[in-house]
Amino acid sequence: MSRFPDRYRRNAQTISPENQTKIQASTVAVIGCGGLGGYIAEELARLGIGRLILIDGDRIEESNLNRQLFATEKVVGTPKVESAGKRLREVNSEVKLELFQDWFKEEKAQTLLTGADVVCDALDSIPARLELERSCHALNLPLVFAGIAGWYGLVGVSFPGDQSVARLFGQGERGVETVLGNPPFTPAVVASLAVAEAVKTLLGKESVLRHAWLQVDLLAMEFEKFYLQI
Amino acid sequence: MRVLIKLFATFREGRFKSEEWELAPGATVAEVLSRLKIKPEEVSIQLVNGKDAALGQVLQDGDVMALFPPVGGG
Repeated sequence: MSRFPDRYRRNAQTISPENQTKIQASTVAVIGCGGLGGYIAEELARLGIGRLILIDGDRIEESNLNRQLFATEKVVGTPKVESAGKRLREVNSEVKLELFQDWFKEEKAQTLLTGADVVCDALDSIPARLELERSCHALNLPLVFAGIAGWYGLVGVSFPGDQSVARLFGQGERGVETVLGNPPFTPAVVASLAVAEAVKTLLGKESVLRHAWLQVDLLAMEFEKFYLQI
Repeated sequence: MRVLIKLFATFREGRFKSEEWELAPGATVAEVLSRLKIKPEEVSIQLVNGKDAALGQVLQDGDVMALFPPVGGG
């Protein structure tokens, strides 16, 4: 059996050494390094993902301090991917990082997502999310999508051809987060759910959130799955 | 006819979580939205009996209609 590093030993009853090796040989692209993206990237790094592609054109602002893991007072003004890189190298130096201080656009997808096995949506706008799903499917990549607003969130998995994001968001023009903002606990919860789905997708386990989404309500403490009928 | 209306996330504010309504035969999804004072563009997806429904869908006795606002932040 290959060497099983001490840092992953505590995971071994959940993630077998064989699966750990698979994770270490995998690449995940995280699109957006804000509230959701910060926690998603951190958890993937702690899991020991082989390579992380992080994409965000933004810089850290004071208004990010309420919820974004990589936003600290000292780094206000620096690019989000730079702050993410610094933190993630301290967390797990074995993870190969590819940082793009850039905005995700459909025409750049092929370059930005090269070598990814799974893509995690941590974007903050509905049109960008629709564009990301189209791009992932054109490149034959599975997408774990997630969204947050106030006490609420959602997460699901879209495989090529599913068009789950288009069906779920196709009608709404503007998300309620533009009014509600996001408290710190919502991105942490929803990002963790997204990472659980990303790991299962990487390991080839059946996704229970395919053709579906999990609706999260932290005010009523309700987690309910809804189906997008095929 | 009776239709169960279920609201999610912000749609519950000032309204309800779940209510059974008595509707006239032929009532559509759009008419329920209008009575709830929810504009179609405020809805991310509407399900009737667990399936995506169009605004013009005519509701039937015993239907369950669920409305979700777009939750799109990151």
